[in-house]
Amino acid sequence: MNYRFVVDPSLCTGCRTCELACAFSHSKNLKPGKSRIYPLSHAKDKYVPVTCLQCNDAACVKSCFFDALKRNEETGAIELNLGRCVKCRACVAACPFGCALIDDIHDEIVKCDLCKGDPACAHFCPTKALRYTRLPI
Amino acid sequence: MVTIYINGKAVQAKEDEMVLTAIRREGINIPTLCNHDAIEPCGACRLCMVEITKKDWNGWKKHVTSCLYPVEPELMVSTHTPQVLELRRTILELYLARNPNSSVIQKLAEEHGITSTPYEIIPDGDNCIMCYACTRICDALGCHAISAVERGHEKVIAGPLNQPPIDCIGCLSCAHICPTNFIEWKDSDGRRSIWGREFELLTCKTCGKKTITRDFAEYLSKNRDLPMSYFETCDDCKRLDTAKTMGRLVVMAAEVAK
Ligand code: FES
Repeated sequence: MNYRFVVDPSLCTGCRTCELACAFSHSKNLKPGKSRIYPLSHAKDKYVPVTCLQCNDAACVKSCFFDALKRNEETGAIELNLGRCVKCRACVAACPFGCALIDDIHDEIVKCDLCKGDPACAHFCPTKALRYTRLPI
Repeated sequence: MVTIYINGKAVQAKEDEMVLTAIRREGINIPTLCNHDAIEPCGACRLCMVEITKKDWNGWKKHVTSCLYPVEPELMVSTHTPQVLELRRTILELYLARNPNSSVIQKLAEEHGITSTPYEIIPDGDNCIMCYACTRICDALGCHAISAVERGHEKVIAGPLNQPPIDCIGCLSCAHICPTNFIEWKDSDGRRSIWGREFELLTCKTCGKKTITRDFAEYLSKNRDLPMSYFETCDDCKRLDTAKTMGRLVVMAAEVAK
């Protein structure tokens, strides 16, 4: 876990490119998936890209009875194993930041997986409000 | 790691793995109904049947349910021999007789080239194939609300004594895992009904959207040490709250920096 996903809301212009990048990089059967990141406005012209914080003591992991959510030690992301998920929506209800989501189109539970260590949103963010950086060790 | 042979190809498998897992990893498609990663395998649907043999078995062969058969060194597995296919077809014919109205069964049978069954059809047969996926997932949750009741022909999945299950928390895990969509449930007017019981759905205090049942939230909070306040708002409103909180923090940080 030498990398961190850095969000700098002061640079975010609310252009929603990250949302598109996320939806398209998670497409399945030629249909874009649900975005796992949302630049939300909290004051006039002020935005915060809200996405999974990959908490240390994560409520989603605690709430899952079937061990479908596990941390990937390499990327630091908490990943959802769809094979073990029964869509009980415990994680969706439990996440205090609202970042476990229901993808209605593919009828799945989804959450940010940091694109297995190469987040598409960070690639496309034009103002570098989203960055994936190596930690100074 | 052990080496097994699947349809003649040598593959590596983990020691405690089941044959089905190795077959799936190879991308070989064999039908299953009762198998799900979240629950222990129980070999109920019999569709994952494969043929196994070993070099020192002198030509002897065995048909086993691959979801329940642990891998062994030098095991030779065949997934699509004529006998295996015949077995699968027979199983599907039996299902067609018992669950003639199930679209899942009909589709699966069709894929195996079966449109009719030689067995006596139960005309009003329901969609339940008695695979116990629902009771196993309920047990995995720790609720143990449903199980098989009655015996023989009358056997059904239900609450204890065929009454609405008192331990049910209305989480719908059973309904979602059911391979044949047998378990009926309904959400209406802020209430959820399943297994003959009614549950109150939690309402988001900001936007009024319905989330999970109160019983499920209380169960999670009690067993998983999560505060009930996490369940008061829906995910959309929680995201907005996150944006507001973070926005405030950014402003504060900027002021401190000045
Ligand atoms: S999947 Fe093996 S018996 Fe059902």
